[in-house]
Amino acid sequence: MSTEDDTNGGIDEGSALVAEFALGLLAGAEHDRVRAMIAAEPRLRAELRLWQVRLAGLDGEVAEQPAPAGILERLETRLFPAAPGAGGLWNSLAFWRSLAGAGVAVAVLAVGFNLLQPRVDPQEFASQLVAALQSQEGSGVEFVALYDQATGSVRLTALSGEAIPDRDFELWYIKGDEPAVSMGVIPVDQKTEIVLPQEARAKFGEGIVLAVTLEQKGGSPTGVAQGPIVAVGSATSI
Amino acid sequence: MQSAASEIASLISRVALRDRAAFRDLYTRTSAKLFGVCLRILRDRAEAEEALQEVYVKVWQRADRYAQGGFSPISWLVAVARNHCLDVLRARRPAGDDLDLALDIADAGPDPEQAAVASGERAQIDGCLDQLEADKADAVRGAYLDGFSYEELATRYSVPLNTMRTWLRRSLIRLKDCLSA
Repeated sequence: MSTEDDTNGGIDEGSALVAEFALGLLAGAEHDRVRAMIAAEPRLRAELRLWQVRLAGLDGEVAEQPAPAGILERLETRLFPAAPGAGGLWNSLAFWRSLAGAGVAVAVLAVGFNLLQPRVDPQEFASQLVAALQSQEGSGVEFVALYDQATGSVRLTALSGEAIPDRDFELWYIKGDEPAVSMGVIPVDQKTEIVLPQEARAKFGEGIVLAVTLEQKGGSPTGVAQGPIVAVGSATSI
Repeated sequence: MQSAASEIASLISRVALRDRAAFRDLYTRTSAKLFGVCLRILRDRAEAEEALQEVYVKVWQRADRYAQGGFSPISWLVAVARNHCLDVLRARRPAGDDLDLALDIADAGPDPEQAAVASGERAQIDGCLDQLEADKADAVRGAYLDGFSYEELATRYSVPLNTMRTWLRRSLIRLKDCLSA
């Protein structure tokens, strides 16, 4: 290499590398090597600090851009899980919370995503349980829901629980902070398969919340949940 | 204006104590700035959005390290965002760059609060950059603000990679002497 091309060029190699590191100009292995070198040498650490603090004077040149909606909610869901299994989304469903608490007892909704195989070995159910919620008084209503992406259908099985006279259970899905969307009335004494409309399929993915409420016979007449939540869970892919 | 900075510093301290309401406030007050940083460096909205989430996860996890910094509070947050985005770029680079994808972000001026807080530091770095040749000062700004690599800078200035590195290094040493003064 000629002197012209020599990156050393008679300058302090360590200082030059620190400056390049501070600007983020180094890539891959060299970046890691220089990071270790700086960590090991107090003089270089001081130089890095000088660069970082001085360069921060340029921060004002970056224009603010409003962050897209929904990120804070996703962060809170991720960082502050409300209870084991229930997930932080429970907290964002304030209107549901106010409705909950009336009568039907221990309820568990387990939601699994069945992306490839519509058939599920009952032995595997335990590992597919991704969410469980219990209310105060116990009378055991449990659901397992499996979503099959290939057919766009949700298969719902009540593992335990009894129908309540003159009332119906209604299934809802909730995507992020959007209002709950009804998936219809579901029986507790038999398996149910619900084929989702296209717009719902587009929304189904990991993290979507399914919930069951206790409604008047025939389901909520308004399209908005009116009865208490008896089961809720968020979906995890398997 | 100083009080705006100290309010953010106090929010960061409360976040270090796991105060969720403080985290929410901090996000509300600073996310536009950090999203601006991510968008400018990553030049892709979806990636910037994902990066912004990761940045605030780091802020939540590392808020206790802020006190050791010596940064202004907003500069510390910007540094967390910038470092994360540069890591994303480094991971992306082997697949090749496409400079044409650069997103033109309207350069609204800095918000007055930020400008006042940083005016001292800003005057110094601007003054020292002014002592470099204009294209070299631009290259330093491009590396810091846009996350440009040596390859990207060499393309922009139509010089061989080695030449780019040699002349930028010399400029950086001169810049450091000025900034240390």
